[in-house]
Amino acid sequence: MAQMHPAPSPLIQLRGLTKTYWTGAKVFTALDGIDLTIDQGEFTAIVGRSGSGKSTLINMITGIDEPTSGEVMVASTPVHQLNQEQLAVWRGKNVGIVFQFFQLLPTLTIAENLILPMDFCNTYPVRQRRERALHLLEKVGIADQADKLPADLSGGQQQRAAIARALANNPPLLVADEPTGNLDSQTTDAVMQLFAGLTAEGKTVVMVTHERDLAHFFTRFITLADGRIVANEIGVPA
Amino acid sequence: MSRPRWMKLARDLVLARGRMAMLVTALATSIFAVALMLSTFTVMTREMNVNYVGTNPASAFIEVDHVDEALLDAVRRQPNIADAEATSWVNGRVEVAPDQWVPLLLFVVPDFANARISTVSPEAGAFPPPENTILVERAVLTLLDTIQLGDSLTVQMPNGTTQPIAISGTVFDPSLAPAWQEQTVYGYITPATLAAFGEDTTLRILKITVRDQPDSVSAIETTVEQLTGWLTAQGRVVDEIRIPPPLRHPHQSQMNTVMMVFLAFSVLSLILSAVLTATMIGGLLAQQIRQIGIMKAIGARSSQIAALYLALVMGLGLIAAVIGILPGMWAARGFSSVVAQLLNLNVYSYAVPLWVYGALLLMAILLPLLVALRPIRRATRVTVRATLSDYGTTAAFGSSRFENWLSRIQGINSSVLLAFRNTFRRRSRLILSLSLLGAAGGMFMTGLNTSSAWQTYINIAAVDRHYDLEVRLNAPQPMEQLAALLSGVEGVAEVESWNLIPAAVARPNGLDIVRTYPDGGHGSFTLRSAPSDSTFINTPMLSGRWLQAEDTHRVVLNQSAFVLFSEAAVGSTITLLIEGQPVTLEIVGVLRQILSPAAAYVTPETFAAAAQIQPTLTNAVRVAMTASDPELVAAVTQRIEQTLGQAGISVRVAVSEVLLDNATSGHVFVFIVALLLIAVVMAVVGLLGLTSSMSTSVIERTREFGIMRSIGARSRTVLLNVISEGVMIGLMSYVLAFAVSLPLSFGMGAYLGEMSFRSPLPLMIAPLGLGLWLAILILGSTAASAVPARQAANLTVRETLAYV
Ligand SMILES: Nc1ncnc2c1ncn2[C@@H]1O[C@H](COP(=O)(O)OP(=O)(O)O)[C@@H](O)[C@H]1O
Ligand SMILES: [Mg+2]
Repeated sequence: MAQMHPAPSPLIQLRGLTKTYWTGAKVFTALDGIDLTIDQGEFTAIVGRSGSGKSTLINMITGIDEPTSGEVMVASTPVHQLNQEQLAVWRGKNVGIVFQFFQLLPTLTIAENLILPMDFCNTYPVRQRRERALHLLEKVGIADQADKLPADLSGGQQQRAAIARALANNPPLLVADEPTGNLDSQTTDAVMQLFAGLTAEGKTVVMVTHERDLAHFFTRFITLADGRIVANEIGVPA
Repeated sequence: MSRPRWMKLARDLVLARGRMAMLVTALATSIFAVALMLSTFTVMTREMNVNYVGTNPASAFIEVDHVDEALLDAVRRQPNIADAEATSWVNGRVEVAPDQWVPLLLFVVPDFANARISTVSPEAGAFPPPENTILVERAVLTLLDTIQLGDSLTVQMPNGTTQPIAISGTVFDPSLAPAWQEQTVYGYITPATLAAFGEDTTLRILKITVRDQPDSVSAIETTVEQLTGWLTAQGRVVDEIRIPPPLRHPHQSQMNTVMMVFLAFSVLSLILSAVLTATMIGGLLAQQIRQIGIMKAIGARSSQIAALYLALVMGLGLIAAVIGILPGMWAARGFSSVVAQLLNLNVYSYAVPLWVYGALLLMAILLPLLVALRPIRRATRVTVRATLSDYGTTAAFGSSRFENWLSRIQGINSSVLLAFRNTFRRRSRLILSLSLLGAAGGMFMTGLNTSSAWQTYINIAAVDRHYDLEVRLNAPQPMEQLAALLSGVEGVAEVESWNLIPAAVARPNGLDIVRTYPDGGHGSFTLRSAPSDSTFINTPMLSGRWLQAEDTHRVVLNQSAFVLFSEAAVGSTITLLIEGQPVTLEIVGVLRQILSPAAAYVTPETFAAAAQIQPTLTNAVRVAMTASDPELVAAVTQRIEQTLGQAGISVRVAVSEVLLDNATSGHVFVFIVALLLIAVVMAVVGLLGLTSSMSTSVIERTREFGIMRSIGARSRTVLLNVISEGVMIGLMSYVLAFAVSLPLSFGMGAYLGEMSFRSPLPLMIAPLGLGLWLAILILGSTAASAVPARQAANLTVRETLAYV
């Protein structure tokens, strides 16, 4: 079972992607001519040492950061050409982002945190929003926490809520930067299962991780070193 | 909740309720002040006009040899004349205590019931007055506080006849400056009553109103010129013509200017509150910068987030408007009625025009919004990466040229540099607190400085005058005889002759036009003879020199007279009209003379020639007494009156300097109280600003306090630390306040002085203002920093170190 989807179509295409930073008087190259294609439905891991450019790379995909040169195409949208406002709208509808520190808004309940992206992007009819939020919470297994504040939840529950929030507008692509970095191994496993389930439903997931023992979840490994891809391997999900 | 972004805003507000309450208080206090001042301004401007125009004020008063019905009929048919009436003015005196006299201005009204021009309205008692009774203006009863309706007044006429006359009623005459201000009794009688005093009852004043452009001086002048030409052609003799500023109450421009000053200051305080709002919102945004980043990461556009915070600012403005506007308008009723009382006006309606509500609402909402726009745009435009990455947060320092310069300085010890950096990170907050408190203190000091300058000026006026009494006679008397008579009076030290005669500025058309109201107060102008060796006045010259014995056809003008002549200068000549005759004189100097109406001083010889009287005669003497305490002055005045009375010499008026003082200080007091009131509003805003700044500072330094606590500092130490920082800022603002008060006091003094004395008040620094403000600042800033200081002191070490 090498491929889950027999006729893959490319979702993400990076071409000649370079990112340089000015640090003091020196130029620092964080990404150096990255060419990469990720197909729809893949569960991709981006691995590498700290400082190798992993976060920088996925920030290019989400449009959080803009490349110094090169192209970022996501489902035929030229992300690198969008301005801040266009990016916000595009991202809200097409990309779900999961952060390492969950980043739920502390003064909103879990359900409200989930409704917020629908509110900003005006995606679902107002009356259906809460229902959808509850549905998503059920999916990640914390429906009973809907009306609590994030501070009342455990780390694992918060990360599940964050994943549910990333799904709020039903985006085809999920991007996560070390989402399990702050979780214990048992919770980590549950969260990874969740992501795997989503890829099974056809979502594309790109995840930064440096936990090698999660390898069995991924369909692809991209290894970065000094801003370059040093390995691009196809994985075999267990 | 399907619109969770608003939910978030609401909950954030609840979390920041302390700061939000402060903001609303600051905004509401300022909008209260603006509402108070703007409402009073609009109401009083309108009411003053309603009062004045309600009397159908004459466009001009023309003094003719005599006015009868036939003449009036003919005048009414002249071009552009709307109406004409006759009257007479008689200057008498009223005895308010044995041998103590107050000037009396009598208006002779032929037909009270049918009067149409410059009318008065009945207040109490009879109207019209029965024969041999007098009506007085209602403010007269305030001036003469022992006298009531029904009492009798002892009145002396110019011919010397002294008789009691009963007050049968009071009237309201809003066209006159209040009796207590002018220290003059205004009375209204019929010609028949005047006849009973043996006075000539010929009516000499022709009152006219014009038909077209009744509000234009030049239109009135043209009409009056034509009319005068016609009158002269009829063989009438035209003397003085009075054209008061058309349709404007005597105090209109004064009041407008004062109210404008108040309004400007209250708007300034609103602007400062708006800046405070912007800063506090800026602080809130800085705290939430990561949350803003998250919202943008999940699809929020900058504009959506900006809308949230703009709505917040609008909401705060709206709440402040609701809290501030109506009470401000309500207070404006009180303030208007005080101003009205002061100016002897009726307020017929306290209604505030609708546009004022609109303007206030707009100001309350738009001003904070405008000022907050920049910080909100800045915060909501921040990129997601900047808020989420560890690299984004360092941008705060080093972003300005000054900070870059600061970090390049070599050889500075790093902890000093850190302290510097912290100070400058907080500098916008610091600047705000300082400017709020500085402005408040500046206003406060200005209020007291101005009051003190006023007092000083009055003292200078007293110092420049070395006589205690001026006695004006109804008919000229031989000076030698008079001097001999008065020198014999016990308590009289010296007597000098200071003749006077009304003067007017000669106009090219030869008409004797003055810009005076019937009360003759503002704009009255006299020619006076000054003994060249006089010891009675100091002669501080603004330019040129004082008179010398041999000066013929030369004149010294005081500052009030000087401004009547445009383009006049020392060395140039001016032409006066004296008794209708032109007199040309060369200006040799301009005298600084405070609290004096316009006067032109000439030598006795020049005076005699100009006034066409014998040089040996005099119609006014000034008397110096052996001491100047009010009791002695009163007693000696009484003896002088008796002596002159026994000699059969009729006194027109005896003016002591004490009287002058009372006349002017009234409005200034109100002015200063209002100035202090606005200073208090600003102080409230300023101290709230300080509190907010201290809270933010405490939040920022939480970790520092935690460390202090963990190495053994007690709550008291932390408390003191914060409070002393607050007091330090307070004291820094003190310096600023002082600096602000100097130009402000100067400007205010210049304005008030010009308005009242035609010469700027000296710049005075009132120690009382300095001391009081220092006390207020120390107390206020201690209180302002006490709340945040307690917060800081009560934090546990664990809390402070866990704080991110
Ligand atoms: N805004 C920035 N300014 C300067 N250097 C940066 C910036 N962001 C990232 N870097 C550098 O780029 C390199 C890659 O960073 P990153 O993508 O965050 O690495 P990681 O693989 O640990 O996620 C690092 O060496 C980091 O120091
Ligand atoms: Mg990283």
